[in-house]
Amino acid sequence: MRFAVFLSFSLALPAADLNGSAVALLSQKCQSCHGPQVQLSGLRLDTREAILRGGKQGAALTPGKPEQSLLFQAVSGAGKIAMPPTGALSPAEVSLLRDWIAAGAVWPAEAVAAKKWWSFEKVQPVKPPALADVWVRTPVDAFILQQLHAKGLSPAQGANRRTLIRRAMFDLHGLPPTTAEVDAFEKDPAPNAYEKLIDRLLASPRYGEKWGKHWLDLVRYGDTSGFEQDPYLLYAWRYRDYVIDSFNADKPYDRFVKEQLAGDEIYEEPTAQQGTGYYTVGPNRDMLFKVEDINRVETLTDFVDTTSSVFLGLTTGCARCHDHKYDPISQRDYFRMQAIFAPIVKSRVFLTYNLARQYDLQENTRQWKLYDLADEFQRMRAPYVKRLRAEKLAKLPQAVQLAFETEEEQRTPQQKADFEMYTKKVAPRDDEVFPLLTPEEKDRLDRIKTRLLSLYSNYAPGPFSPSVTDSGPLGPPVYIPGKNAEAVPAGFLSALGGGDIPPPPPGSATTLRRKALAEWIASPEHPLTARVAVNRVWQAHFGRGLVATTSDFGARGTPPTHPELLEWLAGEFVAKGWSFKHLHRTIMLSSVYRQQTKPSPAALTKDPENQWHSHFTRRRLEAEEVRDAVLRTAGTLNPKMYGKPVVPALAAEELYGMSQPLANAWVVTSDATEHTRRSIYVISRRNFRMPLLEVFDRPEGVLSCSRRESSTTPTQSLSLLNSDFTRQQALALAATSLKGDEAAISEAIFRATLARSPDASELTMAREFLTKQTQLLGSVEKAAAELARGLFNTNEFLYVD
Amino acid sequence: MYTSRRQFLSRAGQGFGLVALSGLLQENLLAAAKAKRIIYLFMHGGVSHVDTFDPKPALAKYNGQPLPGSFGEGLVTSRIDFRKARMLASPWKFSRCGQSGIEISELYPHVQKHADKLAVIRSCHGDAFDHAPAINLRTSGNQFPGRPSLGAWTAYGLGSENKNLPAFVVMSDGAMKSGAGAYGSGFLPAAYQGTTFRSGQNPVLHLASPAGITPEAQKETLSLIDRMNRRHFATREEDSTLEARIASYELAYRMQAEAPDAVDLSKESAATKALYGIDEPMTDDFGRKCLLARRLVERGVRFVQLYQGTNLGDDWDDAHLDLLGSHNKMAKKSDQPIAGLLSDLESRGLLDSTLVVWSTEFGRTPLAEGKNGRDHHPYGFAMWMAGAGIAGGRVLGSTDEFGLRAVEQRKDVHDVHATLLRMLGLDHLKLTYRYQSRDMRLTDVHGENEFTSWLLNT
Repeated sequence: MRFAVFLSFSLALPAADLNGSAVALLSQKCQSCHGPQVQLSGLRLDTREAILRGGKQGAALTPGKPEQSLLFQAVSGAGKIAMPPTGALSPAEVSLLRDWIAAGAVWPAEAVAAKKWWSFEKVQPVKPPALADVWVRTPVDAFILQQLHAKGLSPAQGANRRTLIRRAMFDLHGLPPTTAEVDAFEKDPAPNAYEKLIDRLLASPRYGEKWGKHWLDLVRYGDTSGFEQDPYLLYAWRYRDYVIDSFNADKPYDRFVKEQLAGDEIYEEPTAQQGTGYYTVGPNRDMLFKVEDINRVETLTDFVDTTSSVFLGLTTGCARCHDHKYDPISQRDYFRMQAIFAPIVKSRVFLTYNLARQYDLQENTRQWKLYDLADEFQRMRAPYVKRLRAEKLAKLPQAVQLAFETEEEQRTPQQKADFEMYTKKVAPRDDEVFPLLTPEEKDRLDRIKTRLLSLYSNYAPGPFSPSVTDSGPLGPPVYIPGKNAEAVPAGFLSALGGGDIPPPPPGSATTLRRKALAEWIASPEHPLTARVAVNRVWQAHFGRGLVATTSDFGARGTPPTHPELLEWLAGEFVAKGWSFKHLHRTIMLSSVYRQQTKPSPAALTKDPENQWHSHFTRRRLEAEEVRDAVLRTAGTLNPKMYGKPVVPALAAEELYGMSQPLANAWVVTSDATEHTRRSIYVISRRNFRMPLLEVFDRPEGVLSCSRRESSTTPTQSLSLLNSDFTRQQALALAATSLKGDEAAISEAIFRATLARSPDASELTMAREFLTKQTQLLGSVEKAAAELARGLFNTNEFLYVD
Repeated sequence: MYTSRRQFLSRAGQGFGLVALSGLLQENLLAAAKAKRIIYLFMHGGVSHVDTFDPKPALAKYNGQPLPGSFGEGLVTSRIDFRKARMLASPWKFSRCGQSGIEISELYPHVQKHADKLAVIRSCHGDAFDHAPAINLRTSGNQFPGRPSLGAWTAYGLGSENKNLPAFVVMSDGAMKSGAGAYGSGFLPAAYQGTTFRSGQNPVLHLASPAGITPEAQKETLSLIDRMNRRHFATREEDSTLEARIASYELAYRMQAEAPDAVDLSKESAATKALYGIDEPMTDDFGRKCLLARRLVERGVRFVQLYQGTNLGDDWDDAHLDLLGSHNKMAKKSDQPIAGLLSDLESRGLLDSTLVVWSTEFGRTPLAEGKNGRDHHPYGFAMWMAGAGIAGGRVLGSTDEFGLRAVEQRKDVHDVHATLLRMLGLDHLKLTYRYQSRDMRLTDVHGENEFTSWLLNT
């Protein structure tokens, strides 16, 4: 897709780009004075008719004749009037308008509006094609096979059971099967063995951990805020757990949407209101003061852009600055949507009301006690601090000493600077003070320590979840920057038939704008919601959406390869209660999903991208799957779910470049058994990604990510090959595989990592390898660890067939 | 599975040599490109423009006085109030340098000698006055993190000339106020992110074999991986991705040889080392980085970014409280190394095709913070470029008489980025990557005031 873009540039600027750019320019530079609100000189420049009609000076434009067009004369400086009054257009902009007028001054939005856009139309009921073919197990197969036949292709053979279970497990759990699981599935004589497998996998809590991650990518989840200080979002993980639970409970998608967009306005249950954590887990710079206005604008922009792309599959970002060039989304629509979010203030959900009150009370009392405890400590310490400080100060230059002796108000600016600079350097540390204390004071210190620890002995995160609500029933007014002074009412996209949102009834605590938005999006009638959701699931299973641009169902997106299948899946999804698990079954029980990855020669020439699904598309493991698979096969994976993020120990060189001191920014979890938990529970700092995850294309968590890259780089190979992590896991696996001779060890390590026994020649190879490495490294255990490290790095381990 | 070359490139990559189809795209531009590579010297923390490359005699004249009239209105920064703070004369003397006579302060005695090579831009401006947003802005064109950095775009546009080394290499003093995102690949594939190099035996993360694994043992394990992968591939030969990964292990192995060689300074002559101030206590560290930069571009690395200064140690930002001390120290540490780099590139015939850029995230207030400090100042500041056919000894644009605001030939970061890409033979309007359905550009919708032709004096 990316390449299509490049190729288009080797030709002349396409007409659509020309028209779009010209009209965007008019919107940006002209319409504040000649637009829907204000018409100076009676001129409007926001529709083609209006421009042709012109104003007091006559027609503004003659299509095909730029030199004779008033508009062009005005902007090029050729005529009596020079526009815009705020500053001349650049030569490139002037020539753009010239080309546009010369080409007939076509208005692109009209082209879009006139032709009904497929994804804005209601989902149509579709019947699967009636094909009499044994390959057709489910309606999905019928749609796919019909297209395959039309393209002169035929489906591949079915994959074997070993392949199927590994594929299904990575797709649903993000983990590889154990040898025992493979064996059991291979030997299961039941005719519905595969169906049982899928049901079992869907019922496991591992499912939510895998599919939760897909969702967290979309909603740009992170555990810190980003920027220089990168402070913790202390309770973000509650939202992460909420997402995992929602998938595990197979929460209907319409409900999931409503909880996240407006849980606070729609539902009583705290667990539903938790959804609004959606708004709070993105990057922010709330801690940068003096730029509150920029922060607010950026936050609202994030809400509009993320919400439209995640839930509607539409990009609205363009319309922030001008009417969308390709989709019928006006700048006014953009700000109508922004007005929905403008009243938002951050809040917190009390997961258990009484416990939450109790927690706050305790915290309140604790703080009060701490003030006095600290006071007592400081008084005891004071004389020693004074003495040590004086000793340190005495070693500094005379001028600096004088600065410290001078009263604060009397200090000269130089003295103030000296004082600020040296204050830290002369401050005695506690470890310098403590040895000096008298025995009696040491006793007192012990008592203080005990009281302090007792205050914190039960300390833990409170029963809170991050959330939002509105500042009140009236939102702050929203304006289009640089346009007129009239506030924009909250509302939905006009092209989707969205109107203004009425004010809330008297007595309402909030504006109910998000409720209106949520109910509009989550409606079975909405043309985009179900289509976008099922397409994301399709992409996760097949590597490519039926609409390849999963977050763009607009004019710049790619059209669906199988429009009827998309309609059918969307209809089925809503009809079956918006159930993701039902959707997985629908897809995974098909023959399409069960194909092998081997393409036919015809497929290679006719459909190298496999968009018609004549075989299954192999995929590389995602970043978290790589780490989790190593842990699981090494036997060290800690299956504990939920809770505050884990910070695993990393080598100093891996932590290179962290913006804050490691003692603050990488506080390694004290319980080492936590370090081998699944990657979804590992802290995701915005300023720092764990190298192993970063190199395997884990997104940064700053912008919504609808499709991960799957790159192949030498840094991936270096990390997986040489990192402490791999080595430690290899040693762990080796330690449990040392029973018996080299053949037995080889067998054990193959079965653990690849879930199969080595064949005869592999066994020979592995035995020789162990012998050689034992000689080189001095022990069988180290040699076995090398075998494990090697197998972790094989393509068989890293790819799913 | 991916038969076309395009498919192969897009999915599989070729080590570090993955190229954005530049051959199809802009061949004529590339051929005409003056710069084949960039060495970007980023002074982390904020260098005072009025003490280095933008002399303001008015500050001496009105030293200790507040700004006249409404000069300070509308300017905001982190700690001082522009309406109340007082002007602070530069403690350093400026002199006219070289034949061109451009003015450089005595903070840079060695760089002064290269004055005729420098094109100084005195009219840089931005709107972010805190470090992280400002660094993000200067490196990626956006205050928020998440966008690809200039180096990543360059790597995407041009690839590497050496398939055993990354196209985009970063050397820093450690903690960056912006975090590592400043040299990240943003929404571009991970292959384009800056690879951090450190000096020593293991310049790249995870380059060294694990502790206790001898080279022979490592080779044995790599051979096992290779044999297993080839067996696996034998039944999947249509999938070039798998082949690319096999190649990536071979490349990783070659890097183990090539990268330490690239950073091995022992082969450099004593004279060369002395040129960079290596083995001198103040200049050793940055001198090594500058010499490494030369060794890397010699080996085909496209974009080398050096950061001087760190959030957790010596930094240009120490100028808040101690302008004199911080700038003396930071300039002392980098002056000779930078001058050495320019001389060395020149004598090796590399300067004609290498663009050297000196920049920072913002300048510092012409007004005092405390008595001997300056605060952050993004509204007007300076940078310079040299090499790659640039007509040096010239100054572009200016700030007002107090050094507050860029007034003539105002250049924002997008103009600078557009210019740098153009120097490399890339059109900033055409170097795009589709993300969230927008054809994303380094310059977003800006960059209309590029100044390549001024630089080249054409």
